[in-house]
Amino acid sequence: MKISLNWLRDFVDCQLPASDLETLLRRAGLEVAAIHERGVAIDKVVVAEILESVQHPNADRLSVCKVNDGSEHPRQIVCGAKNYKVGDKVPLALPGAVLPGDFKIKPGKLRGVESEGMMCSAKELRLAEDAQGLLILPPESVVGTPLTEIFPTETILELEITPNRADWLSHLGVAREIAVFTGSPVKNPIPPLPAHVEQASRLLSDPADKATIYTLRKISGVKVAPSPQWLVDRLAVVGLRSINNVVDITNYVLFELGQPLHAFDAAKISGDIRVRAAAEGENFHALDGKEYKLPAGSLVIADNNGPVALAGVMGGEGSGVTETTTDILLESAFFEPSRVRRASRSLGLFSDSSYRFERGVDPEGVANASARAVELILQLTGGTASEILEVAGELPPRTKISLRHDRVRSVLGLEISDAEIDAALVRVGLIHSGGSEWEIPGYRREILREADLIEEVARVVGIEKIPSRAEGLFAGSSDADLAYDFAMDLRRRLAGMGFHEARTSTLVSNADAADFGESVALKNPFGDDQSQLRNSLLPGLFAAVVRNLDQGAKSIPLFEVGRVFTPAGEFPRMALVVTGDRFSADWRGVETRSWDVFDLLGAVRDLGGVETNPLPSPPSPFGAAAEVFLHGKKIGLLGQLHPGVTRQLGANAPVLAAEFDLATWRTLVSRDRTTSPLAKFPGSVRDIAFTAPLSLPYGEVRAAIESLKEPLLQSIGLFDLFTDPKGEKIPADKKSLAVSLSFRSPERTLTADEVNAATDRIKAALRSRSGIEFRE
Amino acid sequence: MEQQVDSLRAEALAQIAAATDAASLEVARLKYLGKSGAITALSEGMRNVPKEDRPKFGKILNDLRAVVTGALEESQKRLLEAADSAAFASLDLTLPGTFPTPGTLHPLTQLMDRAVRCFRRMGFAIADGPDIETEWHCFDALNTPPDHPARNEQDTFYLPDGRLLRSHTSSVQIRVMENTPPPVRIIAPGSAYRRDEVDATHLAQFTQMEGLYVAERVSLADLKGTLEFFFRELFGAGTEIQFRPHFFPFTEPSYEIDIRAAALGGEWMELAGCGMVDPAVFEEICKKRGDRAYDPEKVSGFAFGFGLERLAMNLSRIPDIRMLVENDLRFLKQF
Repeated sequence: MKISLNWLRDFVDCQLPASDLETLLRRAGLEVAAIHERGVAIDKVVVAEILESVQHPNADRLSVCKVNDGSEHPRQIVCGAKNYKVGDKVPLALPGAVLPGDFKIKPGKLRGVESEGMMCSAKELRLAEDAQGLLILPPESVVGTPLTEIFPTETILELEITPNRADWLSHLGVAREIAVFTGSPVKNPIPPLPAHVEQASRLLSDPADKATIYTLRKISGVKVAPSPQWLVDRLAVVGLRSINNVVDITNYVLFELGQPLHAFDAAKISGDIRVRAAAEGENFHALDGKEYKLPAGSLVIADNNGPVALAGVMGGEGSGVTETTTDILLESAFFEPSRVRRASRSLGLFSDSSYRFERGVDPEGVANASARAVELILQLTGGTASEILEVAGELPPRTKISLRHDRVRSVLGLEISDAEIDAALVRVGLIHSGGSEWEIPGYRREILREADLIEEVARVVGIEKIPSRAEGLFAGSSDADLAYDFAMDLRRRLAGMGFHEARTSTLVSNADAADFGESVALKNPFGDDQSQLRNSLLPGLFAAVVRNLDQGAKSIPLFEVGRVFTPAGEFPRMALVVTGDRFSADWRGVETRSWDVFDLLGAVRDLGGVETNPLPSPPSPFGAAAEVFLHGKKIGLLGQLHPGVTRQLGANAPVLAAEFDLATWRTLVSRDRTTSPLAKFPGSVRDIAFTAPLSLPYGEVRAAIESLKEPLLQSIGLFDLFTDPKGEKIPADKKSLAVSLSFRSPERTLTADEVNAATDRIKAALRSRSGIEFRE
Repeated sequence: MEQQVDSLRAEALAQIAAATDAASLEVARLKYLGKSGAITALSEGMRNVPKEDRPKFGKILNDLRAVVTGALEESQKRLLEAADSAAFASLDLTLPGTFPTPGTLHPLTQLMDRAVRCFRRMGFAIADGPDIETEWHCFDALNTPPDHPARNEQDTFYLPDGRLLRSHTSSVQIRVMENTPPPVRIIAPGSAYRRDEVDATHLAQFTQMEGLYVAERVSLADLKGTLEFFFRELFGAGTEIQFRPHFFPFTEPSYEIDIRAAALGGEWMELAGCGMVDPAVFEEICKKRGDRAYDPEKVSGFAFGFGLERLAMNLSRIPDIRMLVENDLRFLKQF
């Protein structure tokens, strides 16, 4: 909503500079999005007439003009524009003028030819954002007139108006608010109301419609013509193009008082006028030239031939005011906001009128606005107004609300006297109707409850008067707190291990969701690439891998903690995706090595002491995968992506991925730690080395040793693994393993004999498995 | 004999003094004090010395031994000191360090956690609610009329079953009050969604922090004190905070909070929405709960919410909001 400061001053004496006004309005809850200065505030720019124009001798694109600037001698000006003809009047910046951008005009030579000033475009004078060529002024402009007189300055405030405050959608409304906060009175001249206000029988309204207030006033003998400049200028301020004097006046009053008006050509209305509900699918030819099928229940203004206007939204084609109109019917009305909103939404038709009606206009201002428009129409178009304002419908009673002063003090946390509370409400224009009761004027119809009154008190008093209280309650941990802490702890440990946290979008494409089972689709996605809610964190991380590969990243260790969605619900997950260099060659002699699946296994083990169970047929997109268990419960999956998928991602090293269900994981770990006693006696270590079939998993070797339940055996560690695909040192279908066995007793120092005996039992057990051979 | 001792002493001291390392010193020690060393041999020669001369020679020998031993120890110390002081001569501390670089937490996580820790110090517990919400939790219960613009399919993502992706985390307020009697004092960090075209300042999914405090006699003064404390904790004591009257369907009075802090670039920024919980919200909760626990005549409360992305952008001078979801490691590693 654009507000002109000059226009505003018609209603309130306010000489505050725009920046102070901005502060005042913000305090009131009206946000100033921008302040625009219009007009020319530059001295030494005058109207000049071009007397002569010849080609510049040294430059193809320039001309040399002689211009009359109102002084005795013509000036010579070199000019690059082409859009003028001799005799045109244009703005001329004289030497000494300073144009925007601190551009000082000085006499000088342009390509060898003297130039005594500069003819200007609208852009150079900041009258337009973009303009080609010189600004051609109207022929009646008087040579020598300063441009500051032709384009007087104007300050325009662009306001952001919250949907609750329909009364702010006009200059009068904003002026009222300024009056509240400055204490200046509102100048609201009551226009001459008609001699009679009559319930008119020819305005047939639906008896069930208790909300509509509809008025018409006839004005005869008007002369439709272009609007005077002041009216054109004011409409331009609020962004409207001038059409003709009558239409412009209706628009003017809308922006002045907030009441939308409509003028019908009386000659084009046949018979009675009805305010009625449209029949389902009824046709309506709107003045935008389009035909609409009206939804049932929308309100229309109809004559004997059908709808002539869609109430509050748009007039009809063929019933509006044109150059040939002589008699008009001026509509001023109140329509039920929700009805206008529904009609406007369902047809996708939005107008300055519907914008105001759907927020609610002041029913008490309907007659005033009509009178104001009539006053202007008589002034500008001649004509005679009917003495009668025809009315259908009745003013609603004013809302009355009871206010408890104690409640105000308790909600605001402010010591404030009854008198101060009452004074604040009087200041915003509410009427104290006795006792605790307050009467609400028609322009503040959104005030309905005690809470609304308290808000008004808070606004007038100002939040800076409210003390700041800093106290509260103790809060016990919720389950959400525990979940938060678990996830945050996990994040920190992952970061400590070298992984970087990513955050990817919850919205993914169909294809991204397809690999991971059932997903939840959006009804109205913004695009196909965001049509599903993710059912895995992995696709988002894969996209992050692609991006980082494109950027030339050598090592990409990423994780994410976030929600996934399936038809069964929402689940917290953690995922890891890594590829590229695990170690990069450095000056210490460390050699470059890619991340591999054992790095991921190790990381996952370090996160929580988990067990893995390899999957014989891994699910897409994995080529090799293992389920991850904790205390016997499955918490996730990890593995290496299928080579095909790896190629698709553009990676030339293995891509490892893992994903975990944090809800399950969290139930399996305790925040509390218990300790084991520290060993008091030294332990003994025995290393064993053997060959085994290449196909025998280490896990089975380990399980075979563990199954013996040797009481002294504390731990088993693999410290060497050797394969020889060429079969030179060991057969190609064998592998050589070296395992370290640690023995310890909590009660005594072990003897070599008992350790050797245990080791022999283990060796014997392994030897009994086919294919295991010890190198003795 | 005495002559012999004198020359032996001179010879030994010269050799000890000439030793340049531990090995040559050991050679010298063995030569004089070793089992078959010269001084050891002299000592053994004592047997042949007449009994009356023994004390005299004994003393001479002992003196010799003491002098040589002292010289050896002295030299040993000198060599050790020389070696110690040379130990780091070739150490180049300008070489790059080689400790593996740890990972990082996402800037939004870090900011969120900073806010969470601050609210926890003020006695707020965390609450949570689903991203996929019912219209009732997201709008109706929050006093948002059925034809409110935020509810249309242009602006909010819907599911075919009529549920939606919450357009704000305020729905968690409703979830909490629905399930917990007052007093409640919670914050709820989480995702919210708006059907926006993604550009340098908009994402379809963003992160919000919601807060709610409902108890007996909670007032606007509590709201003001709480949020002023919070923002000064987060961005420094010099943070300027302005409450600007505004409108939200679910709070009254409502305010937007503008803050200015050096940490945020020193410009005013519109940051948060807040207000006193609208009595209509409490009534809706009472209806749903089927009790009067949230009778607006008995309890009052405040609520607030703010987005984390723009805050993170100002805090870390991030020029484009999309950088927060692109996960470019060159960006992430800066946190």
